[in-house]
Amino acid sequence: MNKVLLGSLSAVSLAVSAAAQAKDEVFVGHLADLSGPTAFVGKYYADGVRDSLAYINKNGGIDGTTVNFETIDYAYKVPQAIGAYKKWKSRKKMVAMQGWGTADTEALISFAAKDKIPVYSASYSGHLTDPMGKNPHTKKPAPYNFFYGASYSDACRALVKWAADDWKAKGNKGKPKFTHIGANHPFPNAPKKACAEYANELGFEVMPSVVVSMKPGDFKAQCLTLKNSGSNYGYIGNLGGSVLSLVKSCKTVGTEIQLMSNIWGGDKEIFNAIGDGVKDYVFPTMTPFWTDKVKGMELVREISKISDKSGQKARTHHYVRGVCSAFYMKEAMQWAKKNGGITGENIKKGMYAVKDWEPKGLEGACMPATWTAEDHRGINTVAIYKGNYVNGEVKVDKVDEVTLERRDDWLGY
Amino acid sequence: MSTTSMRPCGDFRTSYQQDNTIFETKFIWLLAIASVGLLCLAPLFLDEYFLSLAIQVSYLGIAALGLNILVGFTGQISLGHGAFFGFGAFASAWINTQFSIPVFFAIPLAGFLTMAVGMMFGLPAARIKGLYLAIATLAAQFIIEDFFARAEWFSGGSAGAMAESVEIFGFLFDTDQSFYYVAIFALVTMYLWGSNLMRTRDGRAFVAVRDHYLSAEIMGINLTKYRLLSFGVSAFYAGIGGALYGHYLGYVSAEGFTIMLSIQFLAMCIIGGLGSVKGTLMGVVFMVMLPESLESVVGIMKETSWGNIPAVVDGIAYLKEMAIGLVIILFLIFEPEGLAHRWAQIKNYWKFYPFSY
Repeated sequence: MNKVLLGSLSAVSLAVSAAAQAKDEVFVGHLADLSGPTAFVGKYYADGVRDSLAYINKNGGIDGTTVNFETIDYAYKVPQAIGAYKKWKSRKKMVAMQGWGTADTEALISFAAKDKIPVYSASYSGHLTDPMGKNPHTKKPAPYNFFYGASYSDACRALVKWAADDWKAKGNKGKPKFTHIGANHPFPNAPKKACAEYANELGFEVMPSVVVSMKPGDFKAQCLTLKNSGSNYGYIGNLGGSVLSLVKSCKTVGTEIQLMSNIWGGDKEIFNAIGDGVKDYVFPTMTPFWTDKVKGMELVREISKISDKSGQKARTHHYVRGVCSAFYMKEAMQWAKKNGGITGENIKKGMYAVKDWEPKGLEGACMPATWTAEDHRGINTVAIYKGNYVNGEVKVDKVDEVTLERRDDWLGY
Repeated sequence: MSTTSMRPCGDFRTSYQQDNTIFETKFIWLLAIASVGLLCLAPLFLDEYFLSLAIQVSYLGIAALGLNILVGFTGQISLGHGAFFGFGAFASAWINTQFSIPVFFAIPLAGFLTMAVGMMFGLPAARIKGLYLAIATLAAQFIIEDFFARAEWFSGGSAGAMAESVEIFGFLFDTDQSFYYVAIFALVTMYLWGSNLMRTRDGRAFVAVRDHYLSAEIMGINLTKYRLLSFGVSAFYAGIGGALYGHYLGYVSAEGFTIMLSIQFLAMCIIGGLGSVKGTLMGVVFMVMLPESLESVVGIMKETSWGNIPAVVDGIAYLKEMAIGLVIILFLIFEPEGLAHRWAQIKNYWKFYPFSY
């Protein structure tokens, strides 16, 4: 009797395990910084990615294939990012990865290329855009790296272009002065040279850069330097608390400078934290704002309900970029499924399948993007917004949209 | 008989040679050889994840031993070890690409270059010690970090530098399985050398400087020379570790070599045991495995239906970071002499069992 029981039990367990194996699913790893030095914006972006993947699964997955995913908080530590990647690759047969910062993305470039696993990051360093190493400046080709948005260099170029127009529109004469403000660190420095060269081209006088720590502090001395040099336009390369301190310090000192920041340096959360002192603060975005009446934002609001049942929570534009990043990956996976199966290599090919591409349902929320095997600059259009703090309320208005040409000498730089 | 068994009770060492031996009995010697043999077979049964952890232990372990030679054996202090580690990584990539020297030779050359830089920054050690020296080495950390971001010719500036894979006679060590052998070879060589160093005249001088610098000087030990040499050896180890790290990743970016890394190296030495070669390795294994094991616990929680929602994932992410801090504090309170000391106590317990006194 016992033998019969044992036999039937093992038969059932075999059947269950076979069923589990037959379940149609692929694995996507998700690296996030929820508790490290860049968690200030990292958690918003991570929420966007996580909610999207959960939403995709809830709504039929990749044409029936479930996206099995795991979020690991690597706290911006490279060894832990490598550990997570290796674990996913060897044990879960990862087909693609949603990554985060400069440190982990760069550490994984070679592994991703070797293992043929597309990595979608939120590191917008220009050198990730040259997959073939065509530009002689490119240190290392990054064929399996993608990101949704303009590179740091392109975003900065767009801001400089806007600044040049702004200078003329205000009826000013002479050469405007441009200064790079930020820590001497790979992230703020990423667009420094490229941006300065373009500013020179446009007739700016490029001033010596002003070094401001990535950590919050008293930056009055730096603001005084900016004041004394008579700089007209300043590009902020830092983010979070550092930007907060800088704006407050410059307000105290009375620095008359048009501040412009990178994509992580301006959002409603930071403007609320700074409060009085945010005046005509210019920053780039790649998506509309939460309250903007755009068709694609309806889907974003639906996705947001995954982690906020009430649907009342206002999300930052970093969240929307996380959504776009996940959905471009999703559609590339759909293409891959139809064209030979969801493998890293096919997902990469899927990224090149369509031109001027907006994910279905997200029209207007994600800008039309084009990736090719030779050019990973998905987007070369930058929306420019202006933030103000008026009577206890943050006001954000779109001021311009700059489309940059795809210059060969700008590829990977 | 005693040479083939575990060490018997009582201490039968009657000569300096016996006192200084690395492997106390033949059995321990055979065990060590067998362990290395077993390590060589590891890629046959370990997956890439475990191999990548073993590689991490190797390059961090080499660098941490360097710091332990400086802090644990010579009694100096350095808060710039992370920067030296980074310098080794960049230097090796630079030597390889700039002068077309094969990576196999670029790694030791990077070690020597880092040694030179380490000795330069170790110069203040000739005059100052304690907290003052700590701050001087902290300055080294910041200067070198800033150098990485500025010196484009050397480090590629903000864009970073690419590092080729190790290649010997046309065979490319570019997978985890193959690089593992390079890492293990370097680890065993550097640890054997480290253990041997401590038995030499120079090694004894380091210990003398640590224990009582005045007595050491009276004995005729040149304090300046040995303090500087200790910085040099320490930086050499950091350079080799860093170079391995660079060639493993294939890409070096200045972002990874912050003061946090320097502090992590110090933590490895303290947790493992200051002034212990094998303790260093224990500390490194502990520091590499702790976040990974906590992540596995978190991973199991996330497998549950209630565990994989953002609020829970975020919550346990913070708990994980706090747990790492907590474990380190508990170690400092309850096991200040490190894992090496605990290991010795476990061994003694079994040696004397059942007569513990």
